[in-house]
Amino acid sequence: MADTIDIHAEGVEVKKSCCYFCHQNCGVLAYVKDGKVLKIEGDPTHPTNQGGLCCRGNIALLHLDHPARINHPLRRVGAKGENKWEKIPWEQAISEIAERLNAIKAESGAEAVAGAAGTLRTDDWSRRRFFNMFGTPNVFHNALLCWIPTFMVETAVSGWSPFETDLGDSRCVILWGFNPGASAMPGMRGYSDLRKAGMKIIVVDPRYSETAAHSDLWLPLRPGSDTALALAMINVIIMESLYDEEFVNNWCVGFDELWDHVMEYTPEWASEHTWLEPELIRECARMYAKNTPSNIQWGCTADQLGKTSGAGMHARAILRALTGNLDRPGGDLMPGPSHTYVTDEELEANDWLPEEQKAKQIGANKFKMTSWPGYQMIADTARETWGKAPTAEWMCEAHGPSVFKAILTGDPYQIRALIVSATNPVNSYGDSKMTLEALKKVEFLVTCEYWMTPAAIYSDYVMPIAGALERPIVHNNYGVTDHLIASQRAIQPLYERHTDYNFWRDLALATGQDVDQWPWETLEDAFYYVTYPLNEQGYVHGSYDEFVEKYRFFYPPVHYYGYGRNGFCTPSRRVELKSSILEELGYPALPTWIGPAENEIDDPDVAKEYPLVLTTGGGFMPYHHSEQFNIQSVRFLRHEPYFTINPEKADELGIKDGDWCWIETRRGRIRQRANVEPSVDKRVIYAQRGWWYPERQIAPGAVVPDEPFGCLESNVNVLSSVDDEHCDPIGGSWANRGLLCKVYKVDYWDEVETQFSIPGSSSEPGITVPPSKQKLAYEPIPYDPKPDFEVPEGLTWDKKTKYAWDLELGLYYDKDSGWLIHPETQVYYDLYTKYAYDPTDNTLVDEATGVHYDMETRQPIGGVAPVSAPATTEGGE
Amino acid sequence: MSHKMDSNKLEKHYWIWPIAIYLFLGGLGGGTLFVAGMFDILYGPEAGYITALAVLAGVACLGFGSFLLVFELGQPLVFLRVFLSGTAILKYGACLLILAMGFGFVNFLYYLPAEWQLFYYSWTWIRDLCCWLMAICGLGVMVYTGVFLASMKAKAFWNTPALPVLFTVSALSTATVLLAILAGVWPMPADFTVQLAGAAHAAEFDAHKLVEELHFIDSILVIAEVIVLLVYVLMMRAAGNITARTIAIKWLQGAWAPLFWGGMICLGLVIPFFCYRLGGAGAEFIAPVLVLAAGLLLRFMVVFSDQRHEIAGERRFYNRLPKGDEAFLHEWKAPY
Amino acid sequence: MTRYAMVMDQRRCIGCQSCTVACRTWNELPLDILYNPVVGEGVVGEFPHVHQTFTPLICMHCDNPPCTICCPCKASQQDEDGIVWVESEKCMACKACVNSCPYGARDVSALDAPLHSYVRKCNFCKDRVREGELPYCVATCHQKARIFGDLDDPNSDVSKLVNGLNTNRIFPELGTDPQVYYIPDLGGVKL
Repeated sequence: MADTIDIHAEGVEVKKSCCYFCHQNCGVLAYVKDGKVLKIEGDPTHPTNQGGLCCRGNIALLHLDHPARINHPLRRVGAKGENKWEKIPWEQAISEIAERLNAIKAESGAEAVAGAAGTLRTDDWSRRRFFNMFGTPNVFHNALLCWIPTFMVETAVSGWSPFETDLGDSRCVILWGFNPGASAMPGMRGYSDLRKAGMKIIVVDPRYSETAAHSDLWLPLRPGSDTALALAMINVIIMESLYDEEFVNNWCVGFDELWDHVMEYTPEWASEHTWLEPELIRECARMYAKNTPSNIQWGCTADQLGKTSGAGMHARAILRALTGNLDRPGGDLMPGPSHTYVTDEELEANDWLPEEQKAKQIGANKFKMTSWPGYQMIADTARETWGKAPTAEWMCEAHGPSVFKAILTGDPYQIRALIVSATNPVNSYGDSKMTLEALKKVEFLVTCEYWMTPAAIYSDYVMPIAGALERPIVHNNYGVTDHLIASQRAIQPLYERHTDYNFWRDLALATGQDVDQWPWETLEDAFYYVTYPLNEQGYVHGSYDEFVEKYRFFYPPVHYYGYGRNGFCTPSRRVELKSSILEELGYPALPTWIGPAENEIDDPDVAKEYPLVLTTGGGFMPYHHSEQFNIQSVRFLRHEPYFTINPEKADELGIKDGDWCWIETRRGRIRQRANVEPSVDKRVIYAQRGWWYPERQIAPGAVVPDEPFGCLESNVNVLSSVDDEHCDPIGGSWANRGLLCKVYKVDYWDEVETQFSIPGSSSEPGITVPPSKQKLAYEPIPYDPKPDFEVPEGLTWDKKTKYAWDLELGLYYDKDSGWLIHPETQVYYDLYTKYAYDPTDNTLVDEATGVHYDMETRQPIGGVAPVSAPATTEGGE
Repeated sequence: MSHKMDSNKLEKHYWIWPIAIYLFLGGLGGGTLFVAGMFDILYGPEAGYITALAVLAGVACLGFGSFLLVFELGQPLVFLRVFLSGTAILKYGACLLILAMGFGFVNFLYYLPAEWQLFYYSWTWIRDLCCWLMAICGLGVMVYTGVFLASMKAKAFWNTPALPVLFTVSALSTATVLLAILAGVWPMPADFTVQLAGAAHAAEFDAHKLVEELHFIDSILVIAEVIVLLVYVLMMRAAGNITARTIAIKWLQGAWAPLFWGGMICLGLVIPFFCYRLGGAGAEFIAPVLVLAAGLLLRFMVVFSDQRHEIAGERRFYNRLPKGDEAFLHEWKAPY
Repeated sequence: MTRYAMVMDQRRCIGCQSCTVACRTWNELPLDILYNPVVGEGVVGEFPHVHQTFTPLICMHCDNPPCTICCPCKASQQDEDGIVWVESEKCMACKACVNSCPYGARDVSALDAPLHSYVRKCNFCKDRVREGELPYCVATCHQKARIFGDLDDPNSDVSKLVNGLNTNRIFPELGTDPQVYYIPDLGGVKL
């Protein structure tokens, strides 16, 4: 009983911890006595939650010592997947893993080791640091489904992707495929307050979500058709002259091309793809463009549409720019990386990864925006602008599904080891059957986990990781905002659990990395390194814990119109409506419509058999991704999976509320119960994500089923597609939404089939086409920029750098001044004589001989023999 | 007693079979004491020998009913607190029950064979007083069984003044039957027989006459019960309250219709009426069993019609909660 | 005098059930006990013209509580400030109060040891409230859809809301005089 625990008793310490069960990281006060957490409650002074805590935050104590938690390192005994384990000491496990990794590296190269992760339940800069120093580029998250491609495309277009919106002064916000009412509780409070104060909320969601119920305009579009909506909105804004002319004229390039380009994308055209009335699209565009300052809030839908994704992201970036909402009061803020504290990127040691290893990153040759080719361009521009770059972790990764395919096929090369941390890949990555098969097959598998998951059960080692309350946490939104919220650990990790930072550090040292590169023994030490520069900002602290206790958070003052100083963080310093970076990577420079992965217009044959449109991946309370299914207090609220179907369609199919039904796509089928509800169109099916059944524990020695924990039974990712031709060529996102499906009732004799699907073509299971032969949704557009000036004789045009070069001397030609410039020293050279310009006495100097020449006459100064050269150019400087 | 873990508050029965039996026995016992007391009062103390065993049976019914009550409702050690405090109907009921049992038992003591009787034999005013008190408390218990349920505001099907009426009629009917079965079984003292009007076999005659009277009374009571019951359920069927209506539909047309029409109305009430009219073995053996069974069935049906007024949306919420046997509930032993 | 009451702002409730879980963990309730179910009919209407509202339930701490009168043991009681609570040591789990409550606010856990069960119900977190804090479900609600305070204090939020707005109560016709007030929501997208 609560009244038996007195949180005000003597000796009870209050620790400023935080929730670690989603990305919000709400503040938590932990009442600790003698190393035991007595109670937790929401921290009323925390800027994010102001005392609120949702279902997940409140179960921290149940999570902390749950009977199913893994508390000691486990080493596999017996065959892989037999579920037989022995407990071994942490150090032993680390040294055995290190030995094995080193052996694989010696035999097959570092790139044969890959790392899969989930979403922010870790300090992944340390993982990146480990892998960079180890030498493999093949690390990945579910980043490609979660805003990262949006970030990269928007950053390419306008120099930064506004993660922060200045909602206080905003008059209208579009929540595009974003349902804070079920996934961002503190945010939802803000929206409710702001709406009360008069802000308009537009919700784009095929389902009448909790947020749609609190909106001013709801656009229930066909799942997957977001790109068409965005293009039509651009069309309306341009055709009705709703754009911010001053901003567009001064700060945007490519507007005229855009104008011509979107002429065809009328609301009437979009209506066919989105199932929305043209008038509704117009209303949406007008509401957004007329009520400036307005915002488009971040949301992950655009990242889950498959091949249509990239154009949609680009279109939304254009919408922000056309309306002049970028970096203005009440608009979409673009602070850039933190200028004060140490960013994640600075801890990642990306310079340690050799160029030839970067080139081996799996998927980098196909999905370039979110891997080294695109990231490098973004990072270079960002460094020029701010001196800092976005994190490489998340933004620059191997293509996850392609790594799993490489495990199965050895194409492009064999991945031999996989370290999985904080993810349940069978549930969270696309094409679960294929992913599960890859986990079963990979030669060496290590899992860092809280629980025995479908991945952990096939592991060679399972490492116990410290969770909420057991670790300090720095919240800085993946390093893309400039604020920071810090929390301390309430207690040291229980049992033999360690933080993932300590896992990577221990592993680094055991694989032979230099201890000088890992100077921080604890996470607190590392975080103190991060917050230390804040001392200069007046945040005086002598340790990380002191920072937490004294300040807790750091919000730098908001600066608007940051582009006024240096321009936007793009190659042209302008918002590139027509994107040079996309163009250079071989993608359309203007957002060009391409239908979602499967749709009734492009694939009428498929639609005949699978007439319904499926959307998956939407968050729903009380779960976060595939977590908390084993916390009874949470599971109790929704213990079975439900998919939503319109009553009219349900009637037609003879389905009643609560019936178990199959949802089938070309990849396979899963079963969920019917939630018959008019919240979706009668052609739409909304299925819940994340479902597995951790209660189906496997007794030691018992036969492990083909699909442990029922991980394929109700798992929507059995239905999703990771075929290269369904993925977005720009960002690599695979298709979770807008897929074609059919639904029918479960017969009592039905069994769940566990047949292995893809890769190759998910419509015909089995490996039919090796990954390197698989086609993309569209072929790269050859990038062949022509010089817009006449290339002087003897110089060579380089389309990559877009300069004419004197290859011999390594100088490039500056078309405005007519001089040659050395890229590093920035010394000017005469185009014809190749003499360097000496600004001290305004002469030219032959660096080989040291002789000075007169600028005008090209005559040697001091009687040295003249060189015959025509003097045609004027000195630019 | 512990129930299966069940979180569906709309379908959950908080009071189950022991309470149904308790209500039946309470009505039967209370009714018996009331009717026996009335006969005693109307016919004089000699009638007491005829009904003595029924009084004892009534006390036993109340006793067993109380046992079930304690067994179901509470923890025996804590149950005593009922008598210490409170204004609850349950408390009044429990007090009435104890008093009825006490007075009934004291009354019964006067009909023990003379040689077993002790000092109190000559204080007959106690017997007379107990007879009155027993009748009053018996009436109280009988009515209380209905009021107990009818006072539950939350329960759509219970919270009506007609329920105590129905229970009282049913209790009287079952009590009449019990009296008829046990009339005259208790031996009369020889000298007492002699003292009677002088007619040979007077006791048997009187008992026989009493039984006939009881049969006549019961035939009226079963008809009254049919009327009250039908009015009750039909009014519920016509009620504005959707919960009450749903239950009434279940009784009249739904899953319980065979029990209601076949069991309660036909077998339990109409057939006994004709048995009484025809007399003979039917009246003597078949009717009592049927009436008693119908009384028990009525209590069961009412006790299990305990649905609460629904708050909009509750059903959808509770329907989707686990039923109690789901694996995840039992796989891990959570602290709370 | 103090009269505690709660206001549920249905305009803000999003049905996240945080209060449901929070209450359970704070009060360490067995799995089958819910003090704060958040119920609703789901989305209703005809696509795309639909609406949805949620009703957070809790003990109504009635001014005329049927549950205290029917308690034979005086375990179920009401304090001066209106808080209705059960003194577990006195309770014998007869469930008369459970059956008498029109709001389903009381229950007995099947997980308690036999003969040691007692009726559980919300007590407005009286230990917190009397130390000047908010009931935990109110503190934990991100949406600030629950407002708690003293109805007798004219400056309290609950007093202002209850007096200044058209609020609903559940089953007032039963005469229980419930002290949880609901600010209704239209529930749909503005037409």
